Amino acid sequence: MKIAILVSFLAVLIIFFFVAQVPITLTSDEVAKAVSEATSASGVAVDEEVLERAVQLSVAKLEEGQRTRLKYLASAYLVIWLVFILYVLYLERQQQELDKRLSQLEQASEGI
Amino acid sequence: MRIIAIITAFLIFISLYLIFGYARIEGTMLEVQKIFYYHVSAALTVFVAFGVNCVFSIKYLIQRKPNDDLLAVAAAELGIVFCTIALLSGPIWARYAWNTWWNWEARLTSTLVLWLMYIGYFILRSALEGDRRRLYSAVLGIIAYLDVPIVYYAVDIWHGGLHPDRGTKWSLETTMQYTWMVALIALILLFTFLLIVRYRMKKAQARYQAIQQQHLTEASS
Repeated sequence: MKIAILVSFLAVLIIFFFVAQVPITLTSDEVAKAVSEATSASGVAVDEEVLERAVQLSVAKLEEGQRTRLKYLASAYLVIWLVFILYVLYLERQQQELDKRLSQLEQASEGI
Repeated sequence: MRIIAIITAFLIFISLYLIFGYARIEGTMLEVQKIFYYHVSAALTVFVAFGVNCVFSIKYLIQRKPNDDLLAVAAAELGIVFCTIALLSGPIWARYAWNTWWNWEARLTSTLVLWLMYIGYFILRSALEGDRRRLYSAVLGIIAYLDVPIVYYAVDIWHGGLHPDRGTKWSLETTMQYTWMVALIALILLFTFLLIVRYRMKKAQARYQAIQQQHLTEASS
């Protein structure tokens, strides 16, 4: 039973480990560098400042969307493992109660 | 027993790795679609659990062995656990995919009815004693199982629901298919492991009650 509880807790930790690996966050410096490289490579004259702002807004919107999706994903798996953990804890409690009753019965039998 | 526990734990870790590190991200719902792997597997495990309950309820009615009743109860209890998982993880997915937590469409409603019927099964058991408890709950277990095909075929019987067709899960992209298979096997093994644990506990409890009863009879005589 203790192994099952340990496995449940480890499973939850693993979920959060993997979920934490997924988000890709871009800093404004990285965006500026990428825009600068792209415009100089294309050779087309563009307003870098306007383009950088547009890219930054797009990235922020994409990151926000991803954060929302990961929030739903993590919540679902958290709920799933919470149900398992609660059930395993319930079983553990039942087992303890049974052990206690059995030892009481043994003591009573010895008394007789 | 220990071997089942080790294989189950190993498969759970593998399934989690596959879900978050291997399966391709689906194009429409993106990361949220990954809820599918445990949500659908839990729902299918519910059918297995209530199926075990139905088989041992029938066996009890034929042979009248109390151990069949204990196994049926253990399976029903686990069926409720897995059904709760499906009913709780579904709305979280639905909130993102359908923009609603709950919808009274055929599959959702029939699954909720299934869950309520097995809750009723335990309420009935707590209200009765001895052979009557075993007999009536076996009958209710068989009747309640009739809702399982309704849940499964709900999308075919009542068109226009929010759930996709039954065949969708079989036409997944290869990495998703493998991942789902591993998750399904992991959950069915977890069910088997917990079923054995719960059955042994129920058997020990029944034996304790029998010994206690015997002691009381001896003491009074």
